[in-house]
Amino acid sequence: MKLALPPGLSAAQLDRALRDFGRAVGDEWVLATDLDRDTYLDHFAVDESTHASSAAVAPLTVEQVQEVLRIANRHKVPLWPISRGKNFGYGGAAPLLKGSVVLDLSRMKKIDFDEENGVAVVEPGVGFYDLYDYIQQNKLPYWTSVPGNSWGSVLGNALDRGVGYTTYGQHTEKLCGLEVVLPSGELMRTGMGAMSGSPTWNLYRYGFGPSWEQMFVQSNYGVVTKAGVWLMPAPESMLGIDLELPNADDLGWAVDVVAAQRRDGLLQQSPSIGSWLRGAAVLTTRKEWYDKPDALPDDVIAAIRERFGIGWWSISLRLYGYEGVNEAQAAVIQKQFEKQTSQPIRISRWKQGEPLNPAPGQAAFAGVPITFPLANAAWHGGRGGHLGYSPVLPATGQAAMEQFRRTYDRYREFGMDYHGSFAMGERSIVNVNQVLFNKDDPEMMSRVNGFFRALVNDATEKRYGEYRTHIDYMDMVAATYDFNNGALLRANEAVKDAIDPNGILAPGKSGIWPKRYRHLRA
Amino acid sequence: MKYLRSQLLRPAMLGLLFGVGLAPGESLAAGSPDGKALYTERCGMCHQTIGMAVGILSRRPADASMGLLEERADLSAIFVRTVVRSGIANMPRMPRAEISDAELAAVATYLSRGKP
Repeated sequence: MKLALPPGLSAAQLDRALRDFGRAVGDEWVLATDLDRDTYLDHFAVDESTHASSAAVAPLTVEQVQEVLRIANRHKVPLWPISRGKNFGYGGAAPLLKGSVVLDLSRMKKIDFDEENGVAVVEPGVGFYDLYDYIQQNKLPYWTSVPGNSWGSVLGNALDRGVGYTTYGQHTEKLCGLEVVLPSGELMRTGMGAMSGSPTWNLYRYGFGPSWEQMFVQSNYGVVTKAGVWLMPAPESMLGIDLELPNADDLGWAVDVVAAQRRDGLLQQSPSIGSWLRGAAVLTTRKEWYDKPDALPDDVIAAIRERFGIGWWSISLRLYGYEGVNEAQAAVIQKQFEKQTSQPIRISRWKQGEPLNPAPGQAAFAGVPITFPLANAAWHGGRGGHLGYSPVLPATGQAAMEQFRRTYDRYREFGMDYHGSFAMGERSIVNVNQVLFNKDDPEMMSRVNGFFRALVNDATEKRYGEYRTHIDYMDMVAATYDFNNGALLRANEAVKDAIDPNGILAPGKSGIWPKRYRHLRA
Repeated sequence: MKYLRSQLLRPAMLGLLFGVGLAPGESLAAGSPDGKALYTERCGMCHQTIGMAVGILSRRPADASMGLLEERADLSAIFVRTVVRSGIANMPRMPRAEISDAELAAVATYLSRGKP
């Protein structure tokens, strides 16, 4: 990839900054060859060149991070921090602002584990596999919660509000106590960590006065260098309740049933109600099923469902904890489903000491890291790519059905294969839709942008906002949060200018632009 | 198919090689990198047991023996180094901060059984 300079900087100015970075972190950790730059491109993006970096710098310690930020201020170099750079579908390692220097924290891999309280304090480079292996090696009685792509960072995933499969699956809610390098290079700790030497930094979230933890989530206000993460005590038992729903319209009642279970606390985990393509896109490619460019027709959908023995929708609920409690809860849950459907309900039971179910699809329910869901990007053959479109809905069957119909029609209109799921929160649903595409098919690629924008516009019309988005669409999504003429964005940018006057940290992240680059807003 | 890394993979091996809690980059800087251990640690998530790449490669070209790279005899070191830095199909590129040139060379030597 041709060298892309940061806006307003000459090659000589960038070079001087890189030399100073080298003095701070060691010359070998300033990664600035053509090949180095390419390794930070977003492999799954529609157009990789849009977000090319100019170099990367990879510190090992907090002190080095501080020094890198001070140097960036001196040279006015924009930095794009990544934990491990595996945020696929949302930009991977690539910076939003072309020409930014990637601040690669993947070498920072320390883990401190508080066994008594079940808290891991992790640095950004710690991946889910690292934490899982650490727990196994040390025979610690805790389970990780992992996302569908567990190659990434524990801390980074929580900072982007990623989710997992267990009762600890709302990862951002399990953060407790952050250590942050502010854009000036100053080091601070949130919550009880603001008291030096506090033993409760990672046990009580709020401290005294305003609590700033969420301020560093999906933001560009600081570089998080440590985070406390609460882990689930290894349960005595796990109980699974799985069912297949044969009709698309079953989504409505299923959402109402599960929403009530979430609200009253019967169900502590956020199950995802997913459509038929979820498994097929991982296990097969499209040409096995259909050779035309339009969306898969009903008879092909029926064939896929038959081969895999799945419904139009599948639901998997999991209960964790004491066996007797799980059994009692399961009996109530089962009765509630039986009022609505005569479909068979599959119950599975596991107890400590027994081997876990070896089926790949069961791994993440037990907190075992996985990557196989990422295989869905290869659905079309060719070089695959994907985008996530994920509006937040009220937790009602009617809202879910209307959203599903609207979205399904859009997929068909644009000739794309529907890949949707409804993740059931305590009071809301995150409707995760994957847009799978083939980068080697220019005709298909010409449809992707218009399709994605149509989806966002449809949601916005209903006043549904997205919980997370790809770097291509951050300005678009930020603009949909329009109460009082975008008062939130103005407040975010007032904070940005106060805390980062030189605008060095992740310009444009979540639509928040510092004064220096505000004219670049899309 | 078994998938538990606790049963199959890193812990026992890495516990011996690296010691518990060592940062991998640091632990290897001093001595010569162990290609097999590094392969498990940096590549195993996709290229061992139920990893993403095992599934994809096993069905292409309809030959399950393609899926587990450690069991293949057709890989050259230069090919391994190239795909790691340049990416291929569903595999994203890996930067030097994640796997250094020396570490990658050790992995490439291991997978190619010494073939350049």
